[in-house]
Amino acid sequence: MLCLAAGPAAGEEADVPMFSLSGFGTLGVVHSDEEHADFVSSVFVPHGAGYSRKWSPEVDSRLGAQLIGNLLPRLSATLQLITEQRHDGDYAPRVEWANIKYQVTPQLSVRLGRTALASFLVSDFRKVGYPNPWVRPPDEVYSLVPIFSSDGVDASYSLTSGDVAHTLLVGYGQTDTRDSGGGIFHGRDQWTLSDTVDYQAATLRFAYQTARVKVDTLNAIFEGFRQFGPQGNALADRYDPNGKRVTLIAIGGMFDPGGWFAMAEWGRANLNSVFGDRTAWYVSGGYRIRTITPYLTYARTKANSNTSDSGLALTGLPPELAGAAAGLNAALNAVLGTNPVQRSISAGARWDFMKNVAFKLQYDHKNLGAGSAGTFMNTQPGFQPGGTVDLFSATIDFVW
Amino acid sequence: MSFRHWVGIGVVGLSLGLMGNSAMAEVVAVVSSRSTVMTLSRSQVADLFLGRARRFPDGIVALPIDQGEGSAARDEFYLRFAAKSPAQLKAHWSKIIFTGRGQPPLAISNTVELKRRIAANPAAIGYLDRTQLDASVREIR
Repeated sequence: MLCLAAGPAAGEEADVPMFSLSGFGTLGVVHSDEEHADFVSSVFVPHGAGYSRKWSPEVDSRLGAQLIGNLLPRLSATLQLITEQRHDGDYAPRVEWANIKYQVTPQLSVRLGRTALASFLVSDFRKVGYPNPWVRPPDEVYSLVPIFSSDGVDASYSLTSGDVAHTLLVGYGQTDTRDSGGGIFHGRDQWTLSDTVDYQAATLRFAYQTARVKVDTLNAIFEGFRQFGPQGNALADRYDPNGKRVTLIAIGGMFDPGGWFAMAEWGRANLNSVFGDRTAWYVSGGYRIRTITPYLTYARTKANSNTSDSGLALTGLPPELAGAAAGLNAALNAVLGTNPVQRSISAGARWDFMKNVAFKLQYDHKNLGAGSAGTFMNTQPGFQPGGTVDLFSATIDFVW
Repeated sequence: MSFRHWVGIGVVGLSLGLMGNSAMAEVVAVVSSRSTVMTLSRSQVADLFLGRARRFPDGIVALPIDQGEGSAARDEFYLRFAAKSPAQLKAHWSKIIFTGRGQPPLAISNTVELKRRIAANPAAIGYLDRTQLDASVREIR
């Protein structure tokens, strides 16, 4: 970290530097043995490992820089830029964080601007590889909700009783996320409530999030369904994501007494639409042997809602309408089928081989549920759902 | 003891072993001799330095002051009080810094200057090798 002191401020905060600049990055490659689909870092990017490239540097590699300005004793500003694969395949830097924080009292702080949403234990620093034990957080859980940031306000209150410290957070905001097809996923009226409980080496976290979704990429499909009378309207009402509320409940815990760590998280996200109702969880643990930390993770995700639908009844329709109806049914089922059913076992090791730099190797064995492509994207002709995929990843994570 | 022993082996292994052979430096938490704080548990001291707590038990806002990165006293302090190696400490602060939640304590590499700053501020808390204590600062037990 680089700090610039620009004249003394008032009072006992005189030692806080005016600006501090820091950064992080990951250089990584991942290999997938599934050539007909991509293992991706996010559903919003075009390229991954497997189909796009057998060995992909685009899944995990990124660079970030952050400037914190301590403008006044109680007022600070954070700006974080990240360059990584974007929705358009480009690497132009994007603003990940841009907010001002006012410390109202030592217990209460208020932020205004863009923050990364802390849906799960490591969500808000999931792009910073160094503090995370793995190459990447388990995608079964971390892909549950396609909303990762919030432009709005939040308030955080810390409450300590004895050795137990609670951090309560309430936030409100909105977000727009672009996908690789040019569409925009809008989250509106996003509310976040969370309580993080720290007790010695243990952390427990409870979070509830809700947002109203607007997504225009599927409009043509549901407008089509609405041409088919009450039956079509019923299907459109049920599956059209526009205007529907997304809710997420997440519970997580970690225990890290120093020599080893254990973590587990569970989440259920209901998008009340064609994007389904999903449950996912993982357990992970590692043991530190000098500078080497081997770890194991087991993760699962399943769909609580149907992943297919018989759709519009074709019997009795005139041939030209039957063809259109069959097309709509196929389009609906193509989206329903993307709700992943998957389980993974991952084994890896982190090596802290030099100051502020860690080297990680990870092997993932993913079992896709019957008929499911799991969390894989860009499925190509020849892709067999329900198989297994092996991934091999190597990364170098650093902070400065 | 067995827990510390394991952490020692697991985390700094060799360096702790070497320190054990020579006259092992003992790092203690200190406050100004003018401070009203008499006693804190190891985890209370660690919480102040890790940004988990901001206040002393009597409600006064604490000003933790670190030694410089890479100093033996710093490494030993975090190992003994927080069971964290330098890499684990860096990981801890990376989570906090890159989520805008806070910044690590001010660090002062010169222990004479460090002691002077602690002595001058009743809200300050630091750590020193026991051999460096004098009447201006007081060990926290």
